[in-house]
Amino acid sequence: MTDWLGMAAHPRTPRPELKARVVARVLASRRRPVGWLVAAALALVIGGGGGGAFWAYRTIGALTADRDRLAAQVAALHDTVATFIHGPATRLIQIAVSTGGRVGAVTIFADSLRHRWLVRCDGLAPNAPDQAYQLWFITKEGMLSAALMPMDTDQPMVMALDMPREGGPVMGAALSIEPRAGSTGPTGPMVFHLLL
Amino acid sequence: MIEPKRLSQEAERSLVRRLKARDERALAELYDVLSPWVLGLAFRILQDADEAEEVVGDVFVRVWRRIEQHDSRRGPLVPWILSIARNRSLDALRRRRRWWRKQERWERASTAAAGAMEPASAPAPHEASVPGWPVHREVHAALAALPEEQRVVVVLAYFEGLTHSEIARRLEQPLGTVKTRLRIAQAKLAEALAHVKDWMA
Repeated sequence: MTDWLGMAAHPRTPRPELKARVVARVLASRRRPVGWLVAAALALVIGGGGGGAFWAYRTIGALTADRDRLAAQVAALHDTVATFIHGPATRLIQIAVSTGGRVGAVTIFADSLRHRWLVRCDGLAPNAPDQAYQLWFITKEGMLSAALMPMDTDQPMVMALDMPREGGPVMGAALSIEPRAGSTGPTGPMVFHLLL
Repeated sequence: MIEPKRLSQEAERSLVRRLKARDERALAELYDVLSPWVLGLAFRILQDADEAEEVVGDVFVRVWRRIEQHDSRRGPLVPWILSIARNRSLDALRRRRRWWRKQERWERASTAAAGAMEPASAPAPHEASVPGWPVHREVHAALAALPEEQRVVVVLAYFEGLTHSEIARRLEQPLGTVKTRLRIAQAKLAEALAHVKDWMA
């Protein structure tokens, strides 16, 4: 469009106060780079806050899920322990063990009615990095693996184990030190070997 | 009658140099010379005094920030500023068009202002003292000299920012006809205003 066409519009006398407003606005805009910096910083803070809030939301969600899962496990374990302890067909076996120069104990709650064991290990020495404890069922047909228990920390361990379907009745239990991946039969030092 | 301020080409070059040097007095001088025209153009497009004043502020802010971009070899300062004013006004107009509650009022005001351009020969005394008035008369006369059908398409395109298709729909004319009329009108205006190089013509 023709350059000067805007001049076709009739001029209007601005209100006197408009000049001061416009000039002030123009001169304020000159300082806007600082304003932009502030705005950018604010945006960063707000963005960071938003990101932090999102991270917190996600983390809290994940932690809540973990808490619920662990609470369910604890409740299940509590039920299991209560069943073993108070079950009429539960037999308590406590075995003193010595590992790594320290004395500990393996406690077995054997529930002959439900064919389950609850095994608690206390005071076992932590394994070497390439080793693990392995619990065995002693049956008529030999040793069957019951559980592999790599212990990297000095913490009690509790397990609920179902009796094996094969191999005949369980006659006893044994605990040995095996390679970390476990063995099909005991090969390492025997921690205990007990016939019930 | 008050003698209007002159903004000759030399004065314009000096003003631009001072604006680029961030001379605040130059800004005030530019406002004194151009604000009536910027406000008039914005009001012509927007038909709203408050919005037109906002556009005036926008225009001078933009001119102050972008004065480095003005290349005097490509054209004088005033048309450059008027183009900014037009674009800002049309932006505001489009925003307002989206605001449907104001649509009806705008239509009424627009219709009222749509008729023939006011005669340049009888300006109000205070308007006659406005710098640039001779250019206004020249442009006004060139526009008024166009045949009605060409003038209408120019007004719709320039002051209302309508596209060719929108003008065709508004006037219920074929698109090709609108384009032809606009092209002819532009050529006539360019020829009629070719001698306008100086703010005071």
